[in-house]
This record gives sequence, structure tokens and C-alpha cells, in this order.
Amino acid sequence: MAEVKLDAPAVEAASGPLREVARMFLKNHAAVGALAVLLLIVAAAVIGPPLYSDDPYEMVWAPFSPPGADGFLLGTDYLGRDILAGLFYGARVSLAIGLSAALMSVGIGVTIGASAGFYRGWVEEVLMRFTEFFQVLPTLLFSMVIVALFGASLQVVTIAIGVVSWTAVARITRAEFLRIRELEYVMASRASGAGNLKLITAVILPNALPPIIVQAALMVGSAILFEAGLSFLGLSDPNVMSWGQIIGSNRPYILDASFTVTIPGMAIFVTVLAISLVGDGLNDALNPKLRQR
Amino acid sequence: MTSREEALLTVRDLRVRFPLKAASLFAPKRYLYAVDGVSFSIARGQTLAIVGESGSGKTTTALAVARLIDAYAGSVNLQELDVLGLDREALRAARRRFQFIFQDPYSSLNPRLRAADIVAEPLPPMAADARQRIVDDLFEAVGLRPEQQRLFPHQFSGGQRQRIGIARAMAPQPDLIICDEPVSALDVAVQAQVLNLLRDLQSGRGLTYLFISHDLGVVQHMCDQIAVMYLGKIVEYADRLSLFQNPLHPYTRALLSAVPRVDPTVRGGDRRLLLQGDPPDPANPPRGCRFAARCPVAETRCHQEPPALRTLRNKQQVACHLVTEDAVSPLG
Repeated sequence: MAEVKLDAPAVEAASGPLREVARMFLKNHAAVGALAVLLLIVAAAVIGPPLYSDDPYEMVWAPFSPPGADGFLLGTDYLGRDILAGLFYGARVSLAIGLSAALMSVGIGVTIGASAGFYRGWVEEVLMRFTEFFQVLPTLLFSMVIVALFGASLQVVTIAIGVVSWTAVARITRAEFLRIRELEYVMASRASGAGNLKLITAVILPNALPPIIVQAALMVGSAILFEAGLSFLGLSDPNVMSWGQIIGSNRPYILDASFTVTIPGMAIFVTVLAISLVGDGLNDALNPKLRQR
Repeated sequence: MTSREEALLTVRDLRVRFPLKAASLFAPKRYLYAVDGVSFSIARGQTLAIVGESGSGKTTTALAVARLIDAYAGSVNLQELDVLGLDREALRAARRRFQFIFQDPYSSLNPRLRAADIVAEPLPPMAADARQRIVDDLFEAVGLRPEQQRLFPHQFSGGQRQRIGIARAMAPQPDLIICDEPVSALDVAVQAQVLNLLRDLQSGRGLTYLFISHDLGVVQHMCDQIAVMYLGKIVEYADRLSLFQNPLHPYTRALLSAVPRVDPTVRGGDRRLLLQGDPPDPANPPRGCRFAARCPVAETRCHQEPPALRTLRNKQQVACHLVTEDAVSPLG
């Protein structure tokens, strides 16, 4: 039940929607903790390499040195490379790919979903059939084909992930546009002389953003997983250290030196979990129905 | 009603149709005729009310007048401006001459804009201080405090939101304000306040209203002329006094019977007329009078030929075979 605040001032402060979202987000302890972890990971990715080691490929010690022994906090891999240094570098790659792939799929998804939801008619038919075509493609297989065709560089991997994962954004955006375009304030803007482009970008899109933001946050996590999967299969840029690549290259020794696989695995797990929790917190903070509680 | 010279808005034979989903790809295209030949005019500073039940086409008429949906036939003239003939750019420029006050104060304000920005939205581009002066003036005119300009819509009550909507509609000094059921979503006490505000603004600023409502009780306090719509057609069109004192069309009678009265002994002198059933399917309207199936006095002729809207000797217009030239209703 909603609490009735009797002592609320007659004119409450003009707290914008954004500040209210921040207030709701801060109430969610799991999300705040996850955000702290995430910031820590970002900080490690930024300052780790220059502070700790500038070459994760350098063979610094004997192979399979267990964590903590011989001065290497997380041990060394099958070539005697420092795993901690690999993790720092891998964080950069994983986060960069996660963010840019998510950004890309949001870009594609919002454009297609907004056009379909706003213009309706044959535009919607064509665009949504197009979206469904991408939805039914097996994503991992399709991205493997892209990487196989265009070479395993970081850009191609990012594009491959972005191209296979925009469909959910497109559907969410279209659904929001279908709902919002019928609201009277959109008609009021149109009656005020707003053109279609202004209606789409300045009136409807800002109001459609909350679920898109949540989806984008969750997509960063799944893009990191996707990249890990690709590099585990050896389909990512071999010259760029990423978490998935560490796991993939140490795979044959999983029984003899399981730490070489589990430590980067934990890094992926913790990062994706943190991103999911933050996304969940955003969802609760942005969802007006939960906000009333 | 109003002669053509002094009319601000003249609508002639307006028709709006919506395509129905075809049974098959090759079936002939079928349409729902939501507005089927509606004509009216409003003089500057006056109010025309369009009343009718849900689905009668009254909102569609209003939207078509402002060209927020397209009519397929007819003409709309705002003074010299041929509204239906405007091209895209000219239409956008003309949009500010029509403004809307919407029914639902909760969905008619953009939740991401502050109240001042909502009110300023229809204003043409101008210097910030000139804009602020206009917004200040409008807030005062609709009875909101200046410090409320910074608030967001969710921080207002329903009645206050509707005041913001009214301020927004007045902002560009439009020729015509279309009020689409502006009070039907509000509490009765707030309804009266908003109606009084609309009336005060009209007399103070010479506003012209096209007032859409399903409630004759509300309309009674607002309008100069009334058009009663039933299933896409105007069935009766008269000035307010004539219509309330001598309602001619059986449907108008029924609508008046539905207005709640405080004094049970006063019922306009006649017994209550309660309608049975629902209006016919607008996709498949009857051949004769569209009201015949629910009309208590319908004759064979009513089911066969549609009555035209004709002007009686006392200038009242009605579309009913059974009303005499001397304005005597078949219901007595």
C-alpha cells in the first residue's frame, strides 16, 4: 500500500524523473553492490595494465605455477604467462566488446523498432519480417560465419555480436512505440506542429527509453558471454588477450591445472552477474508500477 | 445557423472512413464510415457542442477538422484557409491555429517535460524571455501558481493537469480550440471548476470552442449551438435554447432523458425515454434511418429511406421523417 505522507510540503521540490530513478536505484542494495563491483572491474581494466604489467603475453615464469606461489597472485598459464596480467587486459577487451556490441545492437534495434512502431503499415510489415528473419537464425552459428568470412579481428567480432543480438531491442522499441504513439500527448505535439522526426526522437523515444536501457544493460553482459564463447572456440582475435581466450587456450590442461580455466571463468561470471544485477536494479527503478510501492 | 460571412469554421459534408480488414486479398475493399457527411459552422467567440454516444463519430469529426486524421471527402474552412487542401508544410504551419484539449489529463501531458515546457510546446520559436512572459501569463490565466511551472506532470492532480492542458491549448492563440471531452475524466466537483474556467477564458479572450461531449448536462452550460450525432451523422442541429426546450429528434429526447436531474418532479415535462439495445454496426449501417431500430416511433418509411437533415421553419435542423415543418416532435 502506498503511504500517505501527511507532512509532505504543499509544493514538493521539482524532482525530475531522473532523480527519482536514482533514488529508487539506491534503495536496491544488490544493485548498488553490483554497481560497486562493476566500477571496480572497470577501474581494474583502466589502471591495471599500466600499473601491473604492460605485456600479458610475456612468459614470466614456469608454466602452471599455482595461485599465490612464486609471487604470482593468480598463478601462470600453460606458457608461463601471468594470469592476473591477462585478466587485466582481458577486462579491457571484454568490457569494450560488451559495450560497443550492446551500443551497436541498440542502434540497429531502436532504429528498426522505432520506424516499425511509428509508421505502421507496410513499413512495419517489412521491418518486422526482417527482424524475425534474424531472430530465427542460430545466433552463435551466424556470428561464427561472419567471423569466418571477414577474419577474426576485434571489430569483426563486435559487429558479429551486434548483428545477431539487436532483435530483442527492436521488438521492445516497437512495442513501446505502438503504445506511446496512441497517447494524447503525442497528438498534442503533432497538433503543435511537430513533424514525424521530432515526434520519434524528441517525444516518443525519451518516453520509450526505460525498457530499452534495461535491455541494453543486460545485453552488455550477454555480449561479454558471447565474446567469451567465440574466443573459447578460437574465433576471436588471437592477438588480443580476452577472458574467453585465456579459457580457450588453457582448455587442454583443465584437469591438471584447473585454476587456469576457472579464474578467468570467475571473472566472466562475476562481471556478467554484476551487470545483470545492475540491469535488474535499473528495471525496478525505471518501472513506474514498481515505483509506487 | 451562423451565416457564412461571420463563420470562423465551416465544415461541409465531411466524410471519414477507415478501411476494414478484407476477408481475402481479392475481396472488394470495405470501409467503416465513421463520419458520414457532417456539416456545421461556428462563429468566432462561440461554442458549438457535438454530442453523441461512444462510436457516434464525434471525436473522429474533431480530429478530421484539425486534420489529425484524413477525411476522404468534404471541406473544412477556417476563415479563408482550406484546411483539407493544405500540403504538408502549409499544414504544419497552420497546425497552431487549431489546438486540442484532450479527455485524459493523465496521458495528454508528456511525463518527461516540466509544466512550463509543456505549455510552451505549441509556441513558435522565440526569445526565451518573451516565451517566459507568455507562459507566466498563461499559468495565471488558468489559475496555477508560478512556482508550479518547474514541476513535472505526475506532481499535479487531475484538475491541475487539465488546467495545464488548457494553458497549452491557448498558448499559440489559436483560432479554434477543440475540447474533446475535456471534463469527462474528472471528478464532478473538479468538472465544474474546469468548465467555469473554460467559460471565463472564452468571455475574457474571445475563444472559439468546438466542444465534444457525450453529456448534455455538461454541454448545457457551455455552448451556443449543439449538434447531436448518431452513427456518423448529425441528427439534430439547433441553438442551445431550442434544443433543450424543444428537442425534436427521438434520439435527442433519449439523450436528454439520460441527464440526471436533482429535482425528480422536473423532467422537462415528458416521461423518460430509455433506449433499448446498442447502435447498429457502423461497418454495416441500416438502409433507412440509422436510429430506426431503436426508435420508439419508427414507421415503415423510417426503415426504408434515410432522412435528410432539413431546416424547419424555426431554423432548427433535424433528420427525422416524422418531425413536422412546425417543429413538432413525433413524441409530442
